[in-house]
Amino acid sequence: MIGPSIVIKGEVTGEEDLLVQGRVEGKINLQGNQVSIGESGEVYADVHAKVIQINGKVTGDITGKEKVIISKSGNVHGNIIAPRVTLEDGAMFKGSIDMDPAEASGSKAPVVPHQSGPSSTPQLKASGLDLKSV
Amino acid sequence: MPTSSTQISKLLPTLFQRFDAEQGLTVFHVGAALPETVDFFSDYRCKLHFIDVLSALPLDTGEDASASRRQQLQALLTFPQDTRFDLCLFWDLFNFLDSDTLKTFLSVLQPYLKASAVAHAFSVHNRKLPQLNHIYGIKHKDTLKVRNRRSTPPGYAPHSQRELTALLGCFQVERSVLLPDSRLELLLHRQHTPQE
Repeated sequence: MIGPSIVIKGEVTGEEDLLVQGRVEGKINLQGNQVSIGESGEVYADVHAKVIQINGKVTGDITGKEKVIISKSGNVHGNIIAPRVTLEDGAMFKGSIDMDPAEASGSKAPVVPHQSGPSSTPQLKASGLDLKSV
Repeated sequence: MPTSSTQISKLLPTLFQRFDAEQGLTVFHVGAALPETVDFFSDYRCKLHFIDVLSALPLDTGEDASASRRQQLQALLTFPQDTRFDLCLFWDLFNFLDSDTLKTFLSVLQPYLKASAVAHAFSVHNRKLPQLNHIYGIKHKDTLKVRNRRSTPPGYAPHSQRELTALLGCFQVERSVLLPDSRLELLLHRQHTPQE
C-alpha cells in the first residue's frame, strides 16, 4: 500500500496487488496484479494492471488486461483500454474507452491530453514493488 | 421530474440492427459517459469516444468568428488520426448549436466518419418547445436512460426541420419519429458532400 501521506514520482512495478491512498506521478506497471486507487488516492500516471479499481482520482491512460472499474467516488481523465469496463453511478469520466479485446493489450495514441512522468528512470525497491524515482 | 427515467426509442433498434456484436464498432458519444451506456456497449467490440460538447458552449468567438469557431471545435474534437466513426450519438446537441456552429461542427467531424456512418439525434417539431435539460444513455437497444443535467447549457435555439435538414451537410435524415412531447427522434445516415 502507498499510504495517504506518501508521494511517489517515478515508475512503480512489481508482482503484487497495490492500493494507492497517496499520490503517484509517473507510471504504474503491475501487469499481472490488481491496482486499487483509494478514495484519497491521486494518480497522475499511466496505469497498466490486470484489474484496476478506481475510487480516487486518476489522470492518465489506463490499461486493464481483464477489467477496469470506476466507482462512484472515482474521477478519471484519460483513455481506458480493457475488455470489460464498469462505470458506477456517480463516477466521473472524461476520455475514450476501448473495449475491443484484440487491441486491449496494445498501446494507442492518447486522445485526452494529460501529463504523466517519464518512464525511463532509476529504480528503487520496496517489498515486492519496484519504484523508479525521478 | 425524477433524477432519472427511461424512454423508449423507436429508432435505436433499427440503428443497432446494422451492427454485429463481433464487428468492431467505433462510437462518438456526445455528452458525459453514463454507466448504462458503458455497460450496453460492453457487449460489442468497440471504442467509445465521449466528449461533452455542450460544456464547451458558448464558443468564444473574437474578431474572426469563423476561424475561431473552427479552431475551438478542432481542439474539442481531438481524435487519433485513424479514427473513423460507425455511429454518432448526438442526442439533443443540434438544439444548442447555432447554424454556423453546427455547420462547422459537422465539417470538423466529417473526416472522422466512415462512409457508412449512421447517427441518432433529437430535434423539435415545434421550435417553441421548452428546453429539456436532459442527458442520455443507452440502457437497452430500445430503451434510453434519461437523467437531469446538473447545469443548464446556454444557447438553446432549436432549428426548424427544414433548417436542420439543410444544415446537416454530411448527414441525411433517413427516418424521423414524432414523440408525444413534440420532439423528433432522428436517424441519420452519412451522405457525401459535393466537396468530397
